[in-house]
Amino acid sequence: MTQTTISNNIRRLRFDNDEMTQQQLAQRVGVTRQTVNAIELGKYSPSLEVAFRIASVFGVPLEQVFEYHGD
Amino acid sequence: MSFREKSAWISLISILVVSGFFFLHVPWTVSPPASAALVHGMMYCILALVIIEVVAHIVVAIRAPEDAQAPKDERERLIDLRATRVSHYVYVVGSLLALTLIHRGANAPGLGFAVLFAFVIGQVVKHAARIVFHRRGF
Repeated sequence: MTQTTISNNIRRLRFDNDEMTQQQLAQRVGVTRQTVNAIELGKYSPSLEVAFRIASVFGVPLEQVFEYHGD
Repeated sequence: MSFREKSAWISLISILVVSGFFFLHVPWTVSPPASAALVHGMMYCILALVIIEVVAHIVVAIRAPEDAQAPKDERERLIDLRATRVSHYVYVVGSLLALTLIHRGANAPGLGFAVLFAFVIGQVVKHAARIVFHRRGF
C-alpha cells in the first residue's frame, strides 16, 4: 500500500499522554491495535469519525493530530 | 497477529487442504462420468471444511477471547471488501473460462467441476488477499 498523503503525530501524542500504548489508544477509539499501528505508519487513513475520536482522546484539535500534504 | 488475520490463515489453509484432497480425486477430463461417489465426496469435503474451520476458530478464540469477540473495525471491514472484490474478478474470469469447455465437448459434470474449481480458486485468492492486506497494514 502506498503511503497516504496524510501524516500524523499520534506516536508523539501517545508518548506525551503518559506513554499511552497503541492498545490503550485502540481501546479508547474503538479500533484494533493493528489499525492504530497502520494509521501511525501512514499505511491507512482513518475515517473522519475515527480521526475525530483520536483527537478527542488526546484533547487536541484534529489539525494537531493529522496533517494533509497536498499535491 | 490479529484475530482476523489468523481467521484468514485458517480459511486459506483449510480450503487448500480440503479442496486439494477433493480435486485429487476428480477426473481431470472435460467429460468425466457422472459419479454419485464424487458428489458424496464433495459433500463430505464441505462438511470437513466446516468442521475444521469451526474447530480452528474456536481454538484461536479461546486463546484470545477479547480479540475474537471484538467487532470488526473499519479497516478490517475494508480489507474484507477489497479481498472480496479481488476474488470476484478471479471467480468471474474462472467461470467464463470454464464455460469455454463447452466448445471442447464438456458434459454437465465436467462443467460443474470446472465452475467449482473456479469458485475454490476465487476463495483461495480472497483469503490470500486478506492476509496480504493485513500484513501490509492495508
